[in-house]
Order: sequence, then structure tokens, then C-alpha cells
Amino acid sequence: MTPPARLNASASSPCRLRTRFVLRFLKTLVKIKRSTPPPPSPSLSLTSSPEKIGRHSQRIKLAAYSSMARAVGQRRAWSRALMLKLKLSDKRKNRYRWLAARKMKQQKTLRRGCGRILATKRNRSEKGSPSRSCSGVDELRRLVPGGEAMDLGVLLEETAHFVRCLETQVRVMSIIADCFP
Amino acid sequence: MSSRRSHSRQSGSSRITEDQIADLVSKLQRLIPELRNRHSDKVSASKVLQETCNYIRSLHKEVDDLSERLSELLASLETDSDQAAIIRSLLM
Repeated sequence: MTPPARLNASASSPCRLRTRFVLRFLKTLVKIKRSTPPPPSPSLSLTSSPEKIGRHSQRIKLAAYSSMARAVGQRRAWSRALMLKLKLSDKRKNRYRWLAARKMKQQKTLRRGCGRILATKRNRSEKGSPSRSCSGVDELRRLVPGGEAMDLGVLLEETAHFVRCLETQVRVMSIIADCFP
Repeated sequence: MSSRRSHSRQSGSSRITEDQIADLVSKLQRLIPELRNRHSDKVSASKVLQETCNYIRSLHKEVDDLSERLSELLASLETDSDQAAIIRSLLM
């Protein structure tokens, strides 16, 4: 495999976006892998418990979204909102709970757009899907990061870009997953 | 929440026309795989929005499943295997 050459970050064409995303995502994967302590003895049948796999899958999922948001950069409102949300959530884990809790109140609108992304598998079943019927636009505002504060026209544009980036993300992740036997 | 749209009419600078919205909706429609093959005049805007929401949710679910697969693969990956060497050579 030849290493990717000449990354010009100024262009926003799909192949360069994909390259930027792939690089960041792989770096984060390696970091996650390195932070796992190796099993004490290879003869043990249990190399990793289900909880550890679950924790790792949550970390990988967050790494994928944050890599994509950072690859897009400040150019889009949804990536700005998502980066801010991930940064705040990360700070909360790092002992700045009281400060983040204050910021969380201010960023309540951002939370609603990013709740799906931050939900773990456990929380997902508890949250469930909203049973009340609401118009398609409200639902879309909840799904797109930062969508609550956008006008309709801006929301539709951001949705289009968001969907394209999600497709790229899924494609890259499935290629990486298929690399390994 | 739908009152937000009627309030935005009062701010004149960000006025957006129905045509522009229709353009954006058709652009969205071309992205969604289920609606791509249908002709634009047969699909209503609310249907496009609904399908967009479903599509985004299905993409989120795919990301969840893929990240689970990747975490299992990472766990089973030996540090000195060929794949790890490939990844390391890509990044350094």
C-alpha cells in the first residue's frame, strides 16, 4: 500500500475529505489499540470481556465521528456543533464535571442534535424512539448536529453534506473491517 | 416548533424562497438511495424528509455495528502481525 501523498487541506472534494478522514481515524484506532494492556497470558481463553469490547466499540464510534468532524473542519455548521459537543463531553469525563455541567445547560440545543451519536448501546434501549408524531423537519433537526438553531434552508444544506459524510464514514469503516480476515 | 418558520419571515435578510427550498429538497432526494430512482415530481417534500431521517438513522446504526466489528477485530489483532505492520507503515 502506498502512503497517501500531498494532502492539500484547502480543497473540499470528496476524495481528499476521505483521505483526511482515513488518516485521522487510523491514527485514533492505533491509539486505542495501544492503550489496551495486552492479555497477561496468551493461553487464557478470555482475551477480552464483552464489557471491554463494548467500551472499545463506543470509543471507536466516537473516534469515527470526531475524525469525520475534524476532517470537515470549521467549514460546516454541523461539524462545528459536533466538535464542540464532543469536546464538552470529553471534558466532562476528565474531571471538569462542574464546569461542563454549566456549559451543558447552555448547549442544551446542541445536545439534542448529538444525542444519538453519544448514546451507548445500553442507553439507546432506554431512550427509545419518540412515540409522539412530529413533523419531518423537527425530526431532522434532532438528527443533524446543531440542527435546532438553523433556518430551514441552512438545515437542508447541512443535511445533504452530513449524509454524504456519513456515507463516506460507513464506506471507509467497512473497508477497514474487511481488510482483516 | 413549526412556528419558527413563520417567525423567520420577519427577518428580511435571511428570506429564502420556496423555489430554493424545493431545489434543496430535490438535492436531498438525489442523495437518498430509496428515492433516487423515482421522478422528483412524484415525491412530496415530507416524504423526502421522512426518508432522510430514516436513512440517517440507518447510517448511525451501521456505524454502531461497524465499530463493534472493529473493536472485536482490534481485540483479536496481535501486535506483531502483518496487519499491524501495514497500519503502522501507513501512519508513519
